[in-house]
Amino acid sequence: MTRYIIRRTLAALVVVWAVGTLVFFALRAVPGDPISAMLADVDPSMAEQLRQKFGLDKPVYVQYGLWMLRTLQGDLGNSIYGSNVAVSRIIAEALPRTLSLAALSLVISLSIALVAGIVSAIRRNSLLDHSMTFLAFLGLSMPDFWLGILLIIVFAVKLGWLPAIGYKPLSDGLWPWFSHLILPAVAAGTPFSAIIARMTRSAMLEVLNSEYIKVARAKGLHERTVILVHGLKNALIPVVTVMGIAFALLMSGTVIVENVFAIKGLGRVLIQGILNRDYPVVQGAILVVSMVFVFSNLLVDILYTVIDPRIRYET
Amino acid sequence: MRRMLDPLSNETRRRFRELWRWAHDFDPKDPLFGLTKQQLSGPTLSRRTVLRLMAAAGILSVADVLAACAPTQTPAQTTSPQQAAPAQQPAPQTRPGGHLICGWAGTNEIRTLDPAQINQVLQFQIASNVLSGLTHINPDLVAEGDLAVDWEPSDDGLSWTFYLREGVTFHNGDPFTADDVLFTYNRSKDPEQSIHSGVLANIQDVVKVDDYTVQILLEKPQASLLVKTLERSSGRAMTIVNRRALEEMGPEQYGLTPVGTGPFRVVEHQLGQGVVVEAFDDYYDPQRPKLDKITFIPIPEPEPLAAAIEAGDIHLIGGNAPAAELIDRFVANPDLVVSEITGPGFQALWMNPHRDPFRVPDFNKSVEELLQEPGFKVRLAIAKAIDREALIQRALFGRGEPAYGSVNPAMRFFFDTAINQSSLQRFDLAEAQRLLAEAGYPDGQGFPTLKLMVTPAGKREGEILVDMLQKNLGITLELDIKDFPVLIDFFNSMDFDTLRIGSGGDYDPDDALVDWMITTAKFNGPNRPEDLPFGYFSDAEVDALVEEERAETDLDRRKELVQKANQITSDKVAAAFLYHPLDILVYRKEVNFPAESRIPGLVDLDRTTLES
Repeated sequence: MTRYIIRRTLAALVVVWAVGTLVFFALRAVPGDPISAMLADVDPSMAEQLRQKFGLDKPVYVQYGLWMLRTLQGDLGNSIYGSNVAVSRIIAEALPRTLSLAALSLVISLSIALVAGIVSAIRRNSLLDHSMTFLAFLGLSMPDFWLGILLIIVFAVKLGWLPAIGYKPLSDGLWPWFSHLILPAVAAGTPFSAIIARMTRSAMLEVLNSEYIKVARAKGLHERTVILVHGLKNALIPVVTVMGIAFALLMSGTVIVENVFAIKGLGRVLIQGILNRDYPVVQGAILVVSMVFVFSNLLVDILYTVIDPRIRYET
Repeated sequence: MRRMLDPLSNETRRRFRELWRWAHDFDPKDPLFGLTKQQLSGPTLSRRTVLRLMAAAGILSVADVLAACAPTQTPAQTTSPQQAAPAQQPAPQTRPGGHLICGWAGTNEIRTLDPAQINQVLQFQIASNVLSGLTHINPDLVAEGDLAVDWEPSDDGLSWTFYLREGVTFHNGDPFTADDVLFTYNRSKDPEQSIHSGVLANIQDVVKVDDYTVQILLEKPQASLLVKTLERSSGRAMTIVNRRALEEMGPEQYGLTPVGTGPFRVVEHQLGQGVVVEAFDDYYDPQRPKLDKITFIPIPEPEPLAAAIEAGDIHLIGGNAPAAELIDRFVANPDLVVSEITGPGFQALWMNPHRDPFRVPDFNKSVEELLQEPGFKVRLAIAKAIDREALIQRALFGRGEPAYGSVNPAMRFFFDTAINQSSLQRFDLAEAQRLLAEAGYPDGQGFPTLKLMVTPAGKREGEILVDMLQKNLGITLELDIKDFPVLIDFFNSMDFDTLRIGSGGDYDPDDALVDWMITTAKFNGPNRPEDLPFGYFSDAEVDALVEEERAETDLDRRKELVQKANQITSDKVAAAFLYHPLDILVYRKEVNFPAESRIPGLVDLDRTTLES
């Protein structure tokens, strides 16, 4: 198992390097450069000086070499704009916000989805099941920005229960943190909760028809134990897979939800960086996002062994 | 007028009549309008002087005079340096207090507050509450003393002596002296440390005379020195920074939490999540600031911004102009105040004079001669076919003023109110169609399909322009939407057919003329191919007029030169000018934002109060 993890980690690092390299060259192939983006207010005669300052006057392969060298030393460089804030700092500030949002979204979507999925499976083809199906498709079809705005109008403007926008760190207290996050978490989590609910339902249906469930029931086990212990645990494998993807997607930034609720997370860092052609910021953010992707996949694979002891990765 | 004045007190009515009479009491033939040279050059232009100048320009309105007699305002006093007493002890117990929460529209983050790096209006709107310059503009865009209490130019206009305010302290307790002016100058002129070094190119040196006196030596006389170079927001380059804080924090942190001498000090800055400032107890004016605390939250999306102010989560909207489609909704909301004034900028449609069918190889001819050229006829036809009122109505929901030049009406004194009548670009459809036919494209027949380059934000306007030119002239433009960094690259290298771009934060005529209209202007095709003799426009007479007005310290003469240069760029169609945007400030009715603070483009909150 340890060997497996080490091997997967090394492979993951290769993927991250490949993504970083691709992004590095792709960014420079796109028209427009950071100095042009700044020029609205800067005398173009200074452009050359600025290019030198940020090393943009050097050939691309030299820039690449320098970037690799610095990245290996853990230095993601500095933003080209404003007071040239360190990219690591921009990401370090955005990461807890994105993490909070992703985690809460996942918790909310999971708790709704598991209940809905299990109930649907047990009461198959009942009115309840059909209602759940209807709600799931509704959740899937609602664009998140639209749902976000709707939530703001209802809970912030009309009812005045929750703040409309912004973010408060956990250090400001649990309620300020939670009250600012609950609406965006629902907006970001709803589509995933619909997917996971459908997934849980079909996985549960399959499991509930299997022989060992019949055996469990024949043994006279309590129905709750049959469903939750024997049924759910075995139905969880596909659910965990989707969960892993959902978490990675949420972590890579739910740009639209972040924009609607004015939360500066990783997604906004990335989009802002791209619009400004702020190379170091984009490279740094992509590096972090691709690491989240690769490692959450690895985590999911490891989780499989916990859920289903039959799965072994020894080679 | 009588009805308007009714709700006012007798005292205000008396002051109004007195000021109104005074403003108009001059001999129209007198070039100085009865003002002394001293009144015109003084440490500040007094409110009265400004009113007189506005009356002379024919733009004085009842509202201007009413604003001037509002009880909170005292006409600026002429203070000599000897009289400039050190700031009195602050009296925080008299501060009304309150925590104002502002939403900053259309932005992801306040990337920097360091004047050396600021490149967006929405950044200096905040910085201007934290940092000070030697001068600061008032609502009429006239410079008043800030950290300088007085100044005097030498006879040749090459040396300006500034007398600094005594008893001013930085937020970290350091006293403000001439050394800080020198330090700021040396930092700002270094292109490694500041992106505004170009603004200081005309300054030869800054010399310390004593702790509270500095001399600024110029290469050549510069009329816009007070507004364009020394002003704390539009100028930025000479916004006073603190040496010790910069050394202790480093430029990166200083950019987030700068230390200055302004009414508020930054206490927290979470990149992208907001800036928190608190009242600075030792600010030099004990009457300001009125608020205890302000939070600025960047809100990029229009709908959540609207929801936030409607729900009362935020009290005021600053930053980029809120989306035009929201404004009517705000106006209809009884909880909100929408304050609309002329903004300091312009937007224009640029036509490449090096490409057919707009080709004009040389603008150095009289308009009559230019009118013989098909390329010029097409340019003028397009400029005359744009119904600016309709464009403003459809694209901006009526919130803009027709433009015929780059000099904007917020500059009041320098703005030529008759240009909408005198400009050759005046909307005249029959004439436009005739010109186009003469150029060889009757009803647009044979006119090539060209591209109109716009930014994503300019898309709506672009679509309306395309539609208007199609209907009015029968010509076809195709929208080409490019991100700003890409668009500006094409603009700078003169690689476009037509392109829409413009300017904001133009407080001095030089912002409109020097930056845009002279042959060597910074936007005038700086990266064009070498075989192009000029960028989008070049006219020797405009260059000469601007050269002269830049050095002219006589306001009246300068105004004449500025208006003449502006008229030529309009008549010779340097661009088809579209509109001057409005500056729109939206706040909840519990916010009291006094007229005195209502400076176009800025959000000065030092006099603002909040009712609980």
